[in-house]
Amino acid sequence: MVKSKSKNRSNVIWGFFSSVKLIIVLLIILAIVSILGTLVPQEEGAAEFARRLNPAMLRIFTSLDLFDMYHSIWFRVLIGCLAMNLIICSLDRFPATWKRFIARPEPDRTKPFDHLPPQQSFLAQGTPEETVNKVNKLLQSRYKQIREKEVGANRFFYGEKGSYSHFGVYLVHLSVLLILVGSLVGSFFGFDAYVNILEGEQIDTVMLRKTMKPLKLEFTVRCDKFTVNFYENGAPKEYRSDLSFLVKGKEVAKESLLVNHPVEFMGITFYQASYGSAPGKTVRVKVSRNTARPTVTDMRVESGESIVLPGGEGKFKVIDVRGDIMKMGPAALISVQPNQGKPVDFWVFKQGEMARKMLPGPMLKSPKFDPSAFKPYTFFLDGLETKYYTGLQVNRDPGVSIVWIGCFFMIAGLFVTFFLSHKRIWVHLLKTDQGMKISAAGTANKNPVGLQRELEHLTNDLKGLFQGSSNR
Amino acid sequence: MLNSIIFSYTTFVYFAAFMFYLLAMVMNREILARIGTFASLVGLLAQTVAIILRWVESYSLGVGHAPFSNLYESLVFFAWTIMFLYMIVEWRTKNRTFGTFITPLAFLAMAYASFSPNISSHIQPLIPALKSNWLISHVITCFFGYAAFALSFGLSLMYLLKRLDREERNNIFLKLIPGLRILDDLNYQMIVVGFLMLTLGIITGSVWAHSAWGTYWSWDPKETWSLITWLVYASVIHSRMVRGWKGKRIAILSIVGFACVLFTYFGVNYLAGLHSYAK
Ligand code: HEM
Repeated sequence: MVKSKSKNRSNVIWGFFSSVKLIIVLLIILAIVSILGTLVPQEEGAAEFARRLNPAMLRIFTSLDLFDMYHSIWFRVLIGCLAMNLIICSLDRFPATWKRFIARPEPDRTKPFDHLPPQQSFLAQGTPEETVNKVNKLLQSRYKQIREKEVGANRFFYGEKGSYSHFGVYLVHLSVLLILVGSLVGSFFGFDAYVNILEGEQIDTVMLRKTMKPLKLEFTVRCDKFTVNFYENGAPKEYRSDLSFLVKGKEVAKESLLVNHPVEFMGITFYQASYGSAPGKTVRVKVSRNTARPTVTDMRVESGESIVLPGGEGKFKVIDVRGDIMKMGPAALISVQPNQGKPVDFWVFKQGEMARKMLPGPMLKSPKFDPSAFKPYTFFLDGLETKYYTGLQVNRDPGVSIVWIGCFFMIAGLFVTFFLSHKRIWVHLLKTDQGMKISAAGTANKNPVGLQRELEHLTNDLKGLFQGSSNR
Repeated sequence: MLNSIIFSYTTFVYFAAFMFYLLAMVMNREILARIGTFASLVGLLAQTVAIILRWVESYSLGVGHAPFSNLYESLVFFAWTIMFLYMIVEWRTKNRTFGTFITPLAFLAMAYASFSPNISSHIQPLIPALKSNWLISHVITCFFGYAAFALSFGLSLMYLLKRLDREERNNIFLKLIPGLRILDDLNYQMIVVGFLMLTLGIITGSVWAHSAWGTYWSWDPKETWSLITWLVYASVIHSRMVRGWKGKRIAILSIVGFACVLFTYFGVNYLAGLHSYAK
């Protein structure tokens, strides 16, 4: 990509984005913008806050997308700048890093030995060849790129370690890009939806959060059972949904879904998000027959099931059940099929008196709301049997694995950058009358304390080599 | 409960350690600083025992979980990590003057946990969302990060004070503070450790959020503030690496960073969100 670097460099855009000052500016701007985002309520919380603003302010806030700023254009532009900055800065600096990585300094450099503390040199007894061999062997076992050189009475060795640490920074910056790419992939190719499933029921469509449109899945999910357990103090202990997954009507898998234990099926992940109760299919009704000798019968009725009326004048069934209808409480739609004639349908409310008061006049007169519409019967709704439903978060996010890889690279990269360094070590052997004078010195691209420790260690081990021989 | 009693004693022990370190500097008596170190070690040991006790106790109550799950437990752990890191620094640098600036932070955290009327020291059962092994790694990494930043804050204060030191002033207290170079290097090391830990903390938190709620990032205030803190320290690291900033500027930035840490930890409870312990 970087074919003509010099040309690129003169490019204004390149110049702007390869600036290292820009990074700091961008990081600070992002920090400030995020602070704003925690002060101005976002998304759900925004409506309440917006009501308290005067119209002019409100216009400014909405035109700047301040109520959903993390998804606004300008926030994305900011992130885009950060990404550009990262890419161009890395490309711009890579050649120099590469040079430093492959640079092979001369073994006989003397500059590192300037100001050498005395404890980093010592005298070794033994023949020069033996000494050189021993030193060479130790260095070979510990460093890479060992090279040596003989200049008169001097013998020089060079070795290094940690040269790859130059690339740690690139790994960190690459990881930031990966995380950004992963989140983009997620927002383009993934979805974020929810669904409520009544115990015993099954669904094959979920509701997308962003657009509030239904999405049909390629399989069916059934909630076999939902359980919630509580601690003694009343705090919730466990929410659990037992789910079955069906493909083309055939049961393929059975899984238990708990908070912190999501379940994945065909690339779509389900999370336990909420729960609640809703009317189930069973209804308790009271049927009173208002004749000379009135009778009252209590019944439990499954909705959809046909039941013979106590007096045998026909059959009835419950065709709809609502937990709450027009704020008048639970209601059931009952359909009576006389032995002859057309069926009669009417709603029965649990709080019949209240419904009577709240219903507008014309509706009150309509037989649709008259529990005594089929003579001589009056129906009363005693109750609905409620059932639990489980509230599931339903996601697909193909970007997540990219994000996790980015996170892994970030940690690895930070570790390399912070704790490893490129250490170059020189060892100098000088023939003297008393024996070989051995000294070790070095340079490092960072962490001078670590280098010092390394040199002390090396000198000690070198000393150890020769103490051993003198004992023999 | 035994563990909270030990914790309240630990609070006083840390206060005593602080006093000894301080007196050692004011009176220039090394022996007092040694007593300070001894007190710190005793406090740290007692606190470690109490944390383990609390862990065991939670199992005997039948709600067994690692003691990192509410504000009380996190404050106690915060103090523990500060003292733990501080002991390492003291041992590595062989310098006891840092204690004067760092032990009070541990003391304050413990005092807040033990004596604030709003903080309950009871062992509470875990709600389902908190039942995750990621919780443990999340809390441990975050708090080591916070502790490293706390140390960096202490070191920054020392740096700014040390700059007031003049030969002619002849102030023993200032003279005993180590040299600017040492403070600056150590400060940067702490920032680096803190940054690595905070990064790990944010990542483990995201993994956990992903398994609990299905999103690894939801811009809830606590998450956002930890990102802000992270960005601030990232810019500290860059201004040092790339712009070559040192010394006073880094010290001031580090103090700003620690203010962000504190806000991430406490301030966010006043903004609504998934994380607020306070309720
Ligand atoms: C957004 C998150 C970022 C993080 C977490 C991050 C992290 C780091 C780290 C840890 C270092 C190494 C410091 C050291 O050697 O001790 C570094 C250095 C650097 N960063 Fe970043 N960085 C980020 C963004 C950027 C961006 C947007 C740029 C844009 C150009 C950038 C440019 C650099 C440069 C030039 C260096 C110095 C490399 C060297 O030592 O030669 N960083 N960064």
